[in-house]
Amino acid sequence: MKLNLTLNGTARSADVPERTLLADLLRDTFGMTGTHVGCDTSQCGCCTVHVDGMAVKSCTMLAVQADGCSVTTIEGLGADGLHPVQVAFSQCHGLQCGFCTPGMVMASVDLLRRNPQPTPAEIAEGLAGNLCRCTGYVNIIRAVQQASEILQKEAS
Amino acid sequence: MNAPTAQVLLRKEDQRLITGTGQFSADAQAAGMCHGHVIRSPHAHARITHLDVSAVRAAPGVRQVLTAQDVQAAGFADLPNAVQVKNAQGQAQVVCAMPVLAHDRVLFVGQPLVWVVADTALQAQDAAELADIGYETLDVVVTFADATAPGAVQLHPQAPGNTSVKFEAGDRAAVDAAFAKAHFVSDIAVESQRLVGAPMEPRAVWAWHDEAQGLTHVHTPSQGVGGMAAYLTHITRWDAASIEVHTQDVGGSFGLRSSAYSEHALVMLSARWLKRPVRWVGSRSELFVSDWHGRALRLHGHIALDKDGRILAMRFENQVDAGAYNVYFSTHIGARNLSITMGGAYQVPALHMSSHIFFTNTVPVSAYRGAGRPDIAYVIDRLIDHAAHQHGLDGLALRRKNFIPPQAFPYTTANQTVYDSGHFEAVMDHALRISDAPGFAQRRAEALQRGCLLGRGLAYYLEASGPGGAAKDQVRANFDAHGVLSLHALTGASGQGHETSFAQIVENEIGLPASAVRYFAGEPEQDLVGNSTGGSRTLYGMGSAIKNLCQQLMHQAKPAIAKLWGCAETDIGHVGGEFQEQSGNQRRLRYADWIASLGDLAAQVHAVGEASSGATFPNGCHIAEVEIQCATGVAAVAHYWAVDDVGQVISPAQVLGQVQGGVVQGLGQAFGEHAIYDRETGQLLTGSYMDYPMPRAGGWLRHFHHETHAVPTSLNLLGAKGVGESGCSGSLPALANAVTDALRQVDAPPMDMPFTPARLWAALQAAPQKP
Repeated sequence: MKLNLTLNGTARSADVPERTLLADLLRDTFGMTGTHVGCDTSQCGCCTVHVDGMAVKSCTMLAVQADGCSVTTIEGLGADGLHPVQVAFSQCHGLQCGFCTPGMVMASVDLLRRNPQPTPAEIAEGLAGNLCRCTGYVNIIRAVQQASEILQKEAS
Repeated sequence: MNAPTAQVLLRKEDQRLITGTGQFSADAQAAGMCHGHVIRSPHAHARITHLDVSAVRAAPGVRQVLTAQDVQAAGFADLPNAVQVKNAQGQAQVVCAMPVLAHDRVLFVGQPLVWVVADTALQAQDAAELADIGYETLDVVVTFADATAPGAVQLHPQAPGNTSVKFEAGDRAAVDAAFAKAHFVSDIAVESQRLVGAPMEPRAVWAWHDEAQGLTHVHTPSQGVGGMAAYLTHITRWDAASIEVHTQDVGGSFGLRSSAYSEHALVMLSARWLKRPVRWVGSRSELFVSDWHGRALRLHGHIALDKDGRILAMRFENQVDAGAYNVYFSTHIGARNLSITMGGAYQVPALHMSSHIFFTNTVPVSAYRGAGRPDIAYVIDRLIDHAAHQHGLDGLALRRKNFIPPQAFPYTTANQTVYDSGHFEAVMDHALRISDAPGFAQRRAEALQRGCLLGRGLAYYLEASGPGGAAKDQVRANFDAHGVLSLHALTGASGQGHETSFAQIVENEIGLPASAVRYFAGEPEQDLVGNSTGGSRTLYGMGSAIKNLCQQLMHQAKPAIAKLWGCAETDIGHVGGEFQEQSGNQRRLRYADWIASLGDLAAQVHAVGEASSGATFPNGCHIAEVEIQCATGVAAVAHYWAVDDVGQVISPAQVLGQVQGGVVQGLGQAFGEHAIYDRETGQLLTGSYMDYPMPRAGGWLRHFHHETHAVPTSLNLLGAKGVGESGCSGSLPALANAVTDALRQVDAPPMDMPFTPARLWAALQAAPQKP
């Protein structure tokens, strides 16, 4: 089945089997391997991308459902340098192996879009759909707090 | 990477990982790549009555279908078992190795049976559904009691009673004598339940065969390419020189990446036979039933005390579930790792342990973060806590009285382990000081007002870090024409940030900026010797080799500096990466400046550093306050304080990260994680992230505070002790002691992990008192 979408700002098209998941389209057809697949029950959140600006686990969507949409992956997030969320994850040591990180970052960016000044509890709730096995989450929550402060400063 | 960006990032690894440009094994694509799929047993125990894969072979896109016969024809061996021990009578352990593909019987749900390779992954999966396989199901055993009961179904004809070995360590007679004269005795049986390791990156492997060179390249996550290559050589029986393992980014290990699985060997075989690149990527559902499981231990600890509260002896009787086969490290866990520090941080004159290693119809067990060390630490400090409570002794005083004092080092334990250093009482006092012990009563009263029971638990753990299998660790170094130093070695990272901390060591030693140092570990280095990453030993193992390398580089340069300065070599000393003329002009020259001055000639500077670094003894005191909501049984860690002696610290931020991650993995085991098998069918009931409760953000942990209390070791060049697994070793007993303390307020019966809401609620309902 044919589909057209905007991927990281560029118009792209593909012809894939109907059952193809968006995550597989991004990885296998378009080579956006920063979108990771960590489970098969939509629990881990490693595959989180933005579809029309909203965070979506790309394993929960068929590729054809993204027809006509604008999709942003981790590769397209910091088009003109690193996004403050990416920098904060590094500076706060919010990643170790880095496999969950693209999904964590994409989910965090959307969380801060919806709630620019979240409390730690709100961050935890907002990221409950993203699993990390390395960090224990303590520094991930700190990273999102730091990114929130930087984004607030940039906005003011 | 441009320099300004790199400087704002904490680690050298981060640039690629935060931008999605890391290279994990499932990311590769190659022209003509085929995809493998494994048909697994849906039964826990069955005879294969017939196996017809003709329809699979005829399906669209299918290029190859392999069964056990094909693997046998290829001459492949079974999967390795790393350690074999003897029983107390000197008889060798019965080792039942796992075949790459099951022959006539399957022994656990998920066991690989048929291998299908097709042009696409979907074609391979579709074709697999056409297999016609007949099973005659057999009785199933998934518990110790069932496996060892008279008349139980036998999994392996060569292992009567489903027993691999009854291993013993220590002095049984001395312990019996001590118990006979003891004033107080106590015992407690605890379970360290079966877990799923679940690193976030699913297991993956792809391989291609270079016909011209006769070389099969294998790309897979590992904990070191050398160890992985050795296991693959064992299984394939191919010439070691015909296999090269490559590892780039690794999405978490926790012990699970230390071994080669059936899929590695099958991908390699297909790549050679099909003359195409072949890839396999596990789905999370199949990894739950095929990645080796962890823990699966039951430990019964006994303690004997004299009338003054001095420990006379400890004894442990362990049940060690190997799963369906002996793979890799289950024996190492049950024999070595449980026994080597079985006296913990305490002076124990007599020690004895027995480990009954047995088989069940479950996924085989191997190393998972700590691999037996957290488990023995868990039972030791639950036993101390239990004995103190049972006999009305003060738990802190009991520990103080029995700690090995600083002046006793080097200290040889009753089972001949030599600890080199430690200030256990000072570390415990440090933890007590920062954890507001006096305020606990107030916090407990406040919690009760909110309908919660607050318990406080303390644990002192001591563990032995990995000695390493190779005699030494080597690192090869060379400069390029721009003065950038490249380090090549075998031991690989999976989140530990080696690229950053090893560069930091170089900066500390010779003043070369960390930004000018690169560490490469994922490529085959046939001429180097070294260990894999495991047992928390890499920072000090490889780090010591790098320190030795730096010393060599400084010495190597002295003739050139002497020529430059026109002085004798013996007149040149060096401190902190700076050459210093000892007399005459007292000139100074930084190593980094000297290298820069060489220009293109820097490329001629090279050296191999090496060091032999054995086990060290990380230890620490963890204190937890756990709050249990009476109405729901939901538990949360209101406060957590950890003070760890991990020796010399190289990278404080990364040490903290390791402790946080380890403690939260301990929280996962304490409050939720449990691989549960159905007793009748042997089906795994917790087979996905939907029913296996992984720790989540926020979750159980409200407050966390960590400090280090360094007592450097002289056992390696860096003075570091290892930190990767200590978070698990400290947290399990601290959390369990806190829960136990909370439950004691209502005289609820003692409980085992995991302390899930349902189990806690049931315990509170059964309690004779109401809060």
